[in-house]
Amino acid sequence: MRKIDKKVADSYFKTRTTLIMIYLAIGFVVSYGCVLFAEPLSNITFNGFPLHYYMGAQGAVLTFIILLFINAVVSDRVDRKYGIDEARNESIGSGKTVDH
Amino acid sequence: MDTQFLVSLAFILGTFGLYIGIAIYNQAKATSDFYVAGRGVPPIYNGMAIGADWMSAASFIGMAGTVMVMGYDGLGYIMGWTGGYLLLTFLMAPQLRKYGRYTVPEFIGDRYGSSTARLIAAGATIIISFTYSIGQMSGSGVVIGRLLEVDYRIGTIIGACLIAFYAALGGMKGITWTQVAQYIVLIVAYLVPVIFMSLQLTNNPAPWLSYGTVIEEMRALDREFGISEYVVPFTEGTKWQFLALMFTLMAGTAGLPHVIVRFYTVSTMKAARWSGAWALLFIGLLYLSAPAYAAFSRFILMTQVAGSPIDQLPAWTTSWVDTGMLQVADTDGDGILQWQELQIANDIVVMATPEIANLGVFVIGLMAAGAMAAALSTAGGLMIAISASLSHDIYFRSINPNASDKKRLAVGRWSIVIASLAAGLIALNPPGAITQIVAWAFALASGSFFPALLLGVWWKRSNAQGVIAGMLVGLSVTLGYIFAAKYGGFTILGIIDTGAGVFGATAAILTNVIVSLATKPPSKKIQEEVIDLRYPEQMTYRDGEVWIDDGNDVPPSR
Repeated sequence: MRKIDKKVADSYFKTRTTLIMIYLAIGFVVSYGCVLFAEPLSNITFNGFPLHYYMGAQGAVLTFIILLFINAVVSDRVDRKYGIDEARNESIGSGKTVDH
Repeated sequence: MDTQFLVSLAFILGTFGLYIGIAIYNQAKATSDFYVAGRGVPPIYNGMAIGADWMSAASFIGMAGTVMVMGYDGLGYIMGWTGGYLLLTFLMAPQLRKYGRYTVPEFIGDRYGSSTARLIAAGATIIISFTYSIGQMSGSGVVIGRLLEVDYRIGTIIGACLIAFYAALGGMKGITWTQVAQYIVLIVAYLVPVIFMSLQLTNNPAPWLSYGTVIEEMRALDREFGISEYVVPFTEGTKWQFLALMFTLMAGTAGLPHVIVRFYTVSTMKAARWSGAWALLFIGLLYLSAPAYAAFSRFILMTQVAGSPIDQLPAWTTSWVDTGMLQVADTDGDGILQWQELQIANDIVVMATPEIANLGVFVIGLMAAGAMAAALSTAGGLMIAISASLSHDIYFRSINPNASDKKRLAVGRWSIVIASLAAGLIALNPPGAITQIVAWAFALASGSFFPALLLGVWWKRSNAQGVIAGMLVGLSVTLGYIFAAKYGGFTILGIIDTGAGVFGATAAILTNVIVSLATKPPSKKIQEEVIDLRYPEQMTYRDGEVWIDDGNDVPPSR
């Protein structure tokens, strides 16, 4: 065990939360945003679909999937940058289980 | 006994044999196997298991039909049920995994330091999972009833018995690998017909790319028939209802105990993030196909069934008319079946489509097996959640803390048997369509667990009094709104019962915040534990300092 500088620990948390806020904001725009503006969007056609329908049936879902994979990859990078060792996490994670 | 019956039966029995074989092979031996599969499931398989656990009879049997009947307005289900994974994977799952408990009520009880909170959460788990499983039993009844050409109530009883048997046998460990198999069965079953239909109608094997052209043709047909256009938004409800439904399904997803517990089965927070991503990819395969399914079915019905003479309808119509879920009535008496005279229930669209599109006995058999996989896997997960709440959160932690592992497993197994049979009995006379019943379960989850978990993970000041008041108010508001909207005709901004979660969640969050601020903050130990959830396993927060465990010396004891 060694102590981490408070600033480093805080900046780890800040990086992770900022990224999550950005992902959630994008997710919000492609779903709620596209529903709120469904009428004007319906005048645009994309691949045979009116755009509002396309976003509901495919666009939003594809965006969600991509966001989750970006999050998984980027979070791994952030962890590595801060010197987190996944193998160590695994042994701590399995040991830390509260077993009743 | 026709060929169709024998082929479908062979498919169903074959896949059941597979599931039961897997369950027996992976039989739970220890408590942690029973609840969290020994916590070593690799993320990609966990993603498949989450997919099967998650995609219920409502997704498989009901969703495409709902989109077909509601048009654009049905897409709220697609976006809501997938978008919830953002909230779940970003805001809840990794943090809950780090906290390391067996069940969601246990997290709430320990995080807020209150047995009362744990018992309320256990009660909420049982109510939510039970409501949800009524939808699954009802779905298996539709499939078995159609297959055996018996009343769907007999089908429901058979389905309930099967679910009770294998969920009780395997526990979480058995269920994990059974669910991986069930995911594969259900996704193959779902994709085969939609790919064939796409080939038939557009000569393109990729339905996701090709159905835009079908949508275009359908818009012209809609105008010709003079009916409300398929793609025009908000014809079935207000824009607010659409948004409220979407919120309810998203927040409910992030608070469903039987789905969250699947994130407890992996080894680390990183594995939880990857599980969420894989899960949504696997789920997306079905959710991206459902609107294509809906468009193709509607197009075939409009062009090949509507407009035919009423005495020359295809053979498949008769068997569905017998089940009472399809109505063809020549109301204007001209001998021709008009589009407006055809009434098709949401819940049979997917099951009937292979017959509508004339895809042959093997595809129909495969569909039946896939639908059963969807209903069984979700019901299995729900039963585990109910049994864990009863045997672990209520019996073990409050009634008999000295109970042996064996005794707890026995209580868990018996509660599965009793809960499945009770849900089966209610499903004999279901209170709504499958997607609707399931939406109520989500509304209840978004009114109780979503606020409790969100604030529990992200706001250290939230305390026991806050969460108890929040969960009780959230549940009451949600239940009250569902009943008032369904039976009393009461609505706000046109939001009906399926959108009730937006009111429940808002009320619960406000109550939690106000009551928490008005009462004493939680203990320093609890507040530190909450801050600790911000960091990966290797980092520990203690006394205002963050420590990293580099394995060089023994960690300081608490």
